[in-house]
Amino acid sequence: MQRRDFFKKAALTVGAVGLGATTAKAGTTHQPTDNRKVSKNTFPEKRPLITYSDRPPLLETPRDVFTSVLTPNDQFFVRWHLPDIPMHIDPNTYHIKINGLVEKELDITLHDLKTNFEQVEVTAVLQCGGNSRSAFSPIAGGIQWGNGAMGCATWKGVRLRDILDRAGLKKDAEWIGFNGSEKAAYYETPSFIREMEIEELDDHVILAYEMNGEDLPYLNGYPLRLVIPGNYSDSWVKMLSNITVTKKYKSLFFMDVAYRVPDNECECEEPEKKFKTTKPITKMNVKSIIGYPTTGMTLNHNSHTVIRGLAWDDGHGIKDVMVSVDKGKTWKKAILDDGKLGRYAYRAFRFPFKPSKYGELSIMTKAINKLGEEQPFAKDIKWNHGGYKFNGIDEVKVKVV
Amino acid sequence: MKKLILIALLALSPLVAQVDEKVEVPYIDFPIKMGKEFATVQGQCLMCHSFGYIINQGPQSRKHWKHIIHKMKVAFKAPISDKDAKIVEDYLVEHYGNGK
Repeated sequence: MQRRDFFKKAALTVGAVGLGATTAKAGTTHQPTDNRKVSKNTFPEKRPLITYSDRPPLLETPRDVFTSVLTPNDQFFVRWHLPDIPMHIDPNTYHIKINGLVEKELDITLHDLKTNFEQVEVTAVLQCGGNSRSAFSPIAGGIQWGNGAMGCATWKGVRLRDILDRAGLKKDAEWIGFNGSEKAAYYETPSFIREMEIEELDDHVILAYEMNGEDLPYLNGYPLRLVIPGNYSDSWVKMLSNITVTKKYKSLFFMDVAYRVPDNECECEEPEKKFKTTKPITKMNVKSIIGYPTTGMTLNHNSHTVIRGLAWDDGHGIKDVMVSVDKGKTWKKAILDDGKLGRYAYRAFRFPFKPSKYGELSIMTKAINKLGEEQPFAKDIKWNHGGYKFNGIDEVKVKVV
Repeated sequence: MKKLILIALLALSPLVAQVDEKVEVPYIDFPIKMGKEFATVQGQCLMCHSFGYIINQGPQSRKHWKHIIHKMKVAFKAPISDKDAKIVEDYLVEHYGNGK
């Protein structure tokens, strides 16, 4: 199928994806699906979003939200793994336990957390490791996200380190397990537990109860979630119920099987010949998104337009965002915002531009971070079975009239 | 003085959630294609997830659907019998197959 057809034919609802995906022979990538509409249904504390499932809830943020550095809470994407989520939590009785290899077990209420610990804030991007998964052909297992399984918020809470210091880690403590409160339909289904090595934890990791100055929305993990700036969101456990310190790594489904990429340099493999060993996805790679204009829009000939969007990486920081209006032949620098929300936040970019040719126009953006890492073209991303870490150069197509 | 009282009240007041009662997630009737043996598909799949998960995959090969059902059984421990697994597989291939 021609790429042009891909866009034309893909007048999609969430109900019919995978065009192009099934005709490709093996292991290719392309622009993710980009024209899904928001649903008529609204979820608690959310505006209408692109809706993949109600049980468990899976909601994607539409592209046009990605012009501002902070994503509004009511448009922030939602991803749960298991169907049974507590739908009522009393903030006065909610508490979190810290146990395992600690000198003193703790049982902390929300009130304790807000009054007996130093309160800190961090602005950080939360992005699903499978964001943009619909870019992979053949189809990679999992939700076929477009580009909006992500957002950025200012998170307020308490340093995990401070809590662990209060509990006192025993000498042989090496791993920390985080339990969420979501439950499966069957008792035997693995619980959503994530583990981190104590070494991996820095002072930026917090237990957050507030998002952009408000309580966390229920669907984003009320009343408390883990925030691990720079890392994909698979370990940002929501509705935290328990933190357990252990010596040994426990073998768990959501650690050993899910959220892993091939353990080789390209992190890639062939669909018919999967790479034998895998590693966790952890740090985010450099990426950008165009928030305005969006595909299908019409721009006026010779009229001043400002292309806007966002760029981010794992905290090394964005150096430049380059824009191309000739399908990637030539690139020009966009103007970056002041970056004052810190290195884990989105950087907003803008690019004043006057379309001088009539007809179809492709707009592409490429972010480059301070390490010099830059986004490859979408077609040059290598395939992996989980459809993780896609960071192809972004592209929207508009018409100039 | 007034200010002091207000501060004291704030300090004592219990925490108030933004939504102080049970929230309701809407039920969405995903338009899954109907056919023979639908009851089995409904019984086995809907136990853990909405039909959105199926529809969102798009048309796929028999191998793909077989793999997904296998994942549900082995990774997520869904108690699906071999007989029902085959029924679900055939249903998905018939309605959401790509001819491969």
